[in-house]
Amino acid sequence: MKTILIAVAAVTAGIATIPAQTEDFGAAYSFDERKPQTPVERVIAKVQPSLVKVHGASGIRGITSYATGIIVSKQGHILTLDQILIQQDRTRVVLYDGSVHRAKVLPEDPGLGVRLLKIDPTLVNGELQALWPPDEEGARYRTGQFVVSVGNCFRLAEFSEKLSATFGVVVGKADTALRYRLQDVKYDGELILTDACNNPGHYGGALFTLDGRWLGINARLLDSKETNTMLSAVIPVRDVLPYLEDHILGKRRVEEVVEKVPAWTGMVLFDKAGRRSPPAYVDRVVRGSPAEQLGLRPDDLVVRIDDYSIRSCKEYREVLEKYAAGDSVQLTWKRGTTIKNGELKLARDPKAEEAKK
Amino acid sequence: MAAALCAAQDPDLAAVLASERRRTAVIERCAAAVCSVMAMDSPGGGSGVVFDPAGFVLTNFHVVGKADDDYHLPDAPEPPAADLAKWRTEHPDADAAAVAEFTKAWKDSWCDENWPSGTDLYKPKKVGMPDGKLYEGIVLGIDPGSDLAVLRLVPKAPGQTWPYCDFGDSDALLAGETVFAMGNPFLLATDFTPTVTFGIVSGTHRYQEGSGQRMLVYPDCIQVDAPVNPGNSGGPLFNEAGQVVGINGRISIGDRGRVNVGVGFAIASNQIKNFLGDLMAGRHAEHGTLDMSAWFMNSGTGDERRRGVYVQQMFRDAIVADAGVSIGDEITWFNGSDVRSANQLATLIGVLPAFTWVSLGYRPAQGENAFGDERRVTLRMAYLDTGSSKDGHGADARMASRSDRRLAARAIMARWQFGADEPSGRTFTLAAAGGGDGSDGYTARSDGTRLQLQLGERTLVQAGASESFAREGGQIRSLAVEERARLDRELRSNPFLWNGRTIGERLRDALLRGGVHVHGIAGYRFALPGDGDCEAWLTLDGRPLGCAFRDPIGRKRVEYHIHPAQFYFVADGELQPGWSVATATVEHDESWFARKP
Repeated sequence: MKTILIAVAAVTAGIATIPAQTEDFGAAYSFDERKPQTPVERVIAKVQPSLVKVHGASGIRGITSYATGIIVSKQGHILTLDQILIQQDRTRVVLYDGSVHRAKVLPEDPGLGVRLLKIDPTLVNGELQALWPPDEEGARYRTGQFVVSVGNCFRLAEFSEKLSATFGVVVGKADTALRYRLQDVKYDGELILTDACNNPGHYGGALFTLDGRWLGINARLLDSKETNTMLSAVIPVRDVLPYLEDHILGKRRVEEVVEKVPAWTGMVLFDKAGRRSPPAYVDRVVRGSPAEQLGLRPDDLVVRIDDYSIRSCKEYREVLEKYAAGDSVQLTWKRGTTIKNGELKLARDPKAEEAKK
Repeated sequence: MAAALCAAQDPDLAAVLASERRRTAVIERCAAAVCSVMAMDSPGGGSGVVFDPAGFVLTNFHVVGKADDDYHLPDAPEPPAADLAKWRTEHPDADAAAVAEFTKAWKDSWCDENWPSGTDLYKPKKVGMPDGKLYEGIVLGIDPGSDLAVLRLVPKAPGQTWPYCDFGDSDALLAGETVFAMGNPFLLATDFTPTVTFGIVSGTHRYQEGSGQRMLVYPDCIQVDAPVNPGNSGGPLFNEAGQVVGINGRISIGDRGRVNVGVGFAIASNQIKNFLGDLMAGRHAEHGTLDMSAWFMNSGTGDERRRGVYVQQMFRDAIVADAGVSIGDEITWFNGSDVRSANQLATLIGVLPAFTWVSLGYRPAQGENAFGDERRVTLRMAYLDTGSSKDGHGADARMASRSDRRLAARAIMARWQFGADEPSGRTFTLAAAGGGDGSDGYTARSDGTRLQLQLGERTLVQAGASESFAREGGQIRSLAVEERARLDRELRSNPFLWNGRTIGERLRDALLRGGVHVHGIAGYRFALPGDGDCEAWLTLDGRPLGCAFRDPIGRKRVEYHIHPAQFYFVADGELQPGWSVATATVEHDESWFARKP
């Protein structure tokens, strides 16, 4: 590169010699960033290399085809939410440096609604910066605590562009038992609720405390059509640990296999087939059954079992599946205009018992 | 009182309260400059921010909207009685026809002074300031390409000033940094007190596609989680120091309709600065383009992996085609940055005004999956037609009135600080480096009012209004007409020859003509009165950046684009390679202007 300076007799200070037009000189416009200074800036800068963009097959019917993932092992394991259209052979992962990798799809955890992907670590430039769930103390969170949520909302970041970060507080926790629309949440435990914004694409991203502890994985928004409100929900990372240990460390947990005996109430509901499951009206009550002992009658409407609202026969069946024979539940039902409730002792279904024999 | 008591006992609380006080003080100061912008005769509106005490307001183009087709410029008033009476005493025997001629001439000159040029005319807007008062806002420049517009508030009393906010450096923003948005969401505030919302920077340098014919592109925006809603459009985004780092213009929306979901986009202040000169001069700001589209590709596996930005489409007569780039070539470098993605390239290009000189690096495609060595070319960007304006793209198509441009020039200068104490002498040397034949090279020496120009063997001196001469071969002679004009134009336009004592005088009657962009440095172009099409270019903070004038000796229009690390010498629109410039601040020497050497 030719750059020729001309000499000027230096009279005093303040001389500037500007070289001729060349093609090799400083950047006119720089993407260089300053160093992070505040805790929020530091957390966001620190975790970026551990998060990835996940692209699934093309989205259909409002299911987004993109999400965020969290690198959880140097061997290339990536944790994401199992709510985008993930297909074997069609799932790609974009790392922090902009490189694109094909991902193998590992079995999901149906209870949590999360899934592991795996990329080939030998094709990665440098070493993967993996995160791992903190210990119980480190994963503790409190309502009002500041949090930062990082993810690829609306697929705003492409290739080496940085993921979006939002800031908020933990507004509380929710027991999914209290959820209103059962079908929306696969997860069956405690959820962290936050006002840090969460949007399509942000799902599968991570929630951090200001000192950089990994608290959870961004889940889909919980919404209520009745109140027109939406909540950002986050699955606590401690709950995902057994799944990670199982698939990454090969530490299969030995679970006590207890044979579960289906619960039986003795109520037969008026459940006609149709697109929408009808309200849980009692059609008849089996003689000698727990329901009869509690005093249920045909035309009673079951509205609640323990903390679960029952709005349809389908919800009644789904909730009952959570219990086994021998459990007791608080049953609330409506008769005419009065609300009644009492303790229902769940039993074994005598017909099923006979059939077994 | 109670808080102070608690604070005394709890050092953490004291710190929180101190930070709260700082924040509320900044918000209070900023809020005074945030306004609501509304049309005169239709509902709806947006927000804006005053960025100059003379009442210049920045807002979104989509807030002022497209031009009002049914609007006509007001007729010129009748000449004031005093002027007419004075003229009558000077022309006692004037008949009715002569009076009519005088009246017409007076009206023409009034229109010349007060009418904007161009075909996109706007009715004045209503601008509500937080003092509760409504002002008339004259729409000056528009930038439909990236959604900006500048208005000027009409003072209710002569010399009125407004609270204003300075621009900050948007490139210094980092994800996680605290920012706050102000404006009038849903036009909630009927007394124009702005709403403040708080959040962090979620991402920087985001590229957001536009709509329609390349309109309303956000090439380099700041993503924020501070709630931004309809009505916030055009309002400012502030950093913690209370500087304007962006203009909030659009949001991503979720399933709940057109309301905030925590993803807002602000036009970065550093991009705005690149167009500020054009906007304040009332122009239709033009964006630059390379006349090509390039996409990111990531294909192949293993050793044959191709990752990069490749040229996909271009016109046969595209400026990049003239520079040697063809379809399939890989774009590797732009203006000093390595090109990593198509979005990044779009960002780098999108923030630049049309006709900016840029450097492009590319690797020519050589057959299947093979590329030659990187080549670098320098070219002047073309303009991107957004299809949003009826105004042509001529040099002076859309322009604010002369009075507005004079006012803009004075407002800009009023905020500059000039160092009057430093040495007053200036030298400026243009020299051919290597290849050039040196015929146009010269050295100029000035003390701000007098000028000596050394052109090869000739020395031309302008030592005062009536004192000028040429010295050639030991002989003193008087100046030829073109030599006199050359001295005059050089001194009038070249800000590198001005000093702190004379700059105010030099720019006193200047009109703002537009903006200029010299390799990453934005500036203003000032048109100077007199012949020779003289323009002085100064940076936004008043440092010399270059100049342009018609050289009567070389018989061409010369432009000096002077970046601290780079010099572009342009003659009649063509880049002249191989020239360099040296400038110096020195104690001036009386011998420069003496008849005897």
